[in-house]
Amino acid sequence: MSGLAFGRRVAALPCARLAGAGLLLLLLGFGLVGPWLIEADPARQDLMASLAPPGARFLLGADHLGRSMLARLAHAVRLSFLLSGLTVAAAGLLGTALGLLAAWEGGWLDRGLSLLSDTVLALPGLLLVLLVIAFAPGQILPLAGGIALALWVEFFRVTRAQARSLLARPHVEAARLLGFGRAYILGHLILPELAPILFTLAGFGIGGVILTVATLSFISIGLKPPTAELGGMTSEMLPYLAEAPFQALLPSLFVALAVLACHLLAGGRPR
Amino acid sequence: MSGHVRLRDLTVQAADGTPLVAGLSLAAGPGTPLVLLGETGSGKSLVLQAIMGALPPHLRRTGEVVLDGQPLPEGRARRGLWGRRIALLPQEPWLALDPTMRALAQVAEVYRLVRGMPAPRSRAEAEQRLRDLGIEEAARLYPFQLSGGMAQRLALAVLRATDAPLLLADEPTKGLDAARRDEAALRLRDEAGRGRTVIAVTHDIGVARILGGHLAVMLEGRILEQGPSERLLRDPAQDYTRRLIAAEPSQWPTQWRAPSIAPPRPAGEAVVEGRRLGKRFQDRAVLREVDIAVGRGEVVAVLGPSGCGKTTLGDLLLGLLPPSQGEVRRAAGLAPWRFQKLYQDPPSAFAPHQSMRDALRHLGRRHGLAPTLFEGLRDRLRLPPALLDRRPAELSGGELQRFALLRALALDPVFLFADEPTSRLDPITQQEVALLLRGLVSERNLGLLLVTHDAMLAQRMADRVFTIEAARLLPAGRAG
Repeated sequence: MSGLAFGRRVAALPCARLAGAGLLLLLLGFGLVGPWLIEADPARQDLMASLAPPGARFLLGADHLGRSMLARLAHAVRLSFLLSGLTVAAAGLLGTALGLLAAWEGGWLDRGLSLLSDTVLALPGLLLVLLVIAFAPGQILPLAGGIALALWVEFFRVTRAQARSLLARPHVEAARLLGFGRAYILGHLILPELAPILFTLAGFGIGGVILTVATLSFISIGLKPPTAELGGMTSEMLPYLAEAPFQALLPSLFVALAVLACHLLAGGRPR
Repeated sequence: MSGHVRLRDLTVQAADGTPLVAGLSLAAGPGTPLVLLGETGSGKSLVLQAIMGALPPHLRRTGEVVLDGQPLPEGRARRGLWGRRIALLPQEPWLALDPTMRALAQVAEVYRLVRGMPAPRSRAEAEQRLRDLGIEEAARLYPFQLSGGMAQRLALAVLRATDAPLLLADEPTKGLDAARRDEAALRLRDEAGRGRTVIAVTHDIGVARILGGHLAVMLEGRILEQGPSERLLRDPAQDYTRRLIAAEPSQWPTQWRAPSIAPPRPAGEAVVEGRRLGKRFQDRAVLREVDIAVGRGEVVAVLGPSGCGKTTLGDLLLGLLPPSQGEVRRAAGLAPWRFQKLYQDPPSAFAPHQSMRDALRHLGRRHGLAPTLFEGLRDRLRLPPALLDRRPAELSGGELQRFALLRALALDPVFLFADEPTSRLDPITQQEVALLLRGLVSERNLGLLLVTHDAMLAQRMADRVFTIEAARLLPAGRAG
């Protein structure tokens, strides 16, 4: 894409999406580049500097153990986006693939998959996550897997419903008559039509997972200290809310900003 | 009732200033219908929308609409006239009726809410309106339970309830088959006969002929010529009007070569054949014991009203639906993609996001076809290369139907099922596509199954004509 064409596409985005995209870029930049630029070790304690206010040595202050808030936040933001990206990618791939399969095959396979998805939907999502992390408490992959197990259902249901009506359209019938196979029809005719709605789902999904991970860590069943994680940091700093309100509220602010960025980007309807 | 309408220098412009309707001046009065005739994109529907005050917001209108000596108020104030002074008979009324309301209630609410009558009297009046139009048995039915013709009559009953002197009709016969089309046009003429001012928009000369009155032929936003309908259709002054009239199937040079009763089998060998075919959907038998065979180089037409099962028959022969009884046989040794279909609604037969170039490139890659093959076909079908980079939404129905033919012909078909291939096209385009199809049948020696509700079209194109009546396929006699 030429620079000009790219510029035109950006200009065509409505304000809300533009704001969301800008905010997301800032946060992603902070999370991806921050850990390289900031020399401070997020785990290095300096008890003499406990709850130090923002200043020359600690740009955003220090926490109760004298660790750099800036370094910890950068690592935590990176972790949040990596974890939610991974989770949504897994849930999206699984849900979309199963949705296409159910829509294409119909019959007992469709009924079976729909039954499975309804069952998962009927279970509280938290229960599934708790079940999976019980195998390996405090580790990242089981946490991502557990959330993905609950999240794939919405991708499945949307894909299945949309693909079913798309597959019944004359242009798909025409493609079959012209000798095109399943891979072409799904890849070239169905997926491009589904892409915008899957993008929206993924945006909301990433925002939701960031919130879920923070919530789980806040109640100490997600990731364990000393891992820098937004929810965990909030819960660690909660007792010091009166002495250091800035440091205590900062992690929550980042959660709110990240979720807002995702929702603005995904939810702003094009025109 | 009064209802004298005068348009003075009516102009509608697109946002970039392109005139879509240019300086239109017209008058209409009670008793004589005013018919605007023109092809898609000629601006005729915009004229109606401008009178209604329902133009899309990005269009700009100048000029005046005068009703009974008073210029119509602008914007929201004009809505106050809807249902009182101005009423609209919508396109495809089965889509415009309230799907959650029974027929009688839809008529009664006009009396109660627009004309302020008490509920019992509204019901009585509504029942009378349904009786007037012969649909009193539909009073308790919902729109989805009505046939197209009944929905049309119900919409008319709603309009009669309004008692508005000015009646606008936007393509009042769209989606109706030939018999229902004439019936709907006659009914609209009756409305004019009852002293209303009727302004109708159509692309169908048959409808214009039935409505009579005053005719204005539109092209590219202008009135090409106007005058009393009868004289204009008999003796047009403009070349375009002459072409429009000549494009009616009844005016085509006749192609009829077969005996008056169609023989059941082709002269040569059949490329596809259905034996004792039957198809049921749930409890309803759509087709029963149908024997049909299509040979190379011939056109077989199947006639019938909407919903009679003629599309189902074609889909059975193509293997798109499994038959409930009987079997379909194809000539041996042919690849499955040499059996192709043309669709009624050309835009729906193409992926909306794909340019024609991409669609054809993918087809060429799938079957290992040389690009020169496509170029040759493109010239034959008179599709300029500039169209290749457009998507379906940016092409006209006629262009898309020719692209559909192009991709089918690229696979060297032996059998083509054309499902109402011209019913959504303008008359001149319809004639072009139909004659092109007819020519290709002999040129490429392929068998064409033409499904249509237009008896004239069938007789002008086909070697053998059949009708479907009560789920059975019968040979049609030569008519007209």
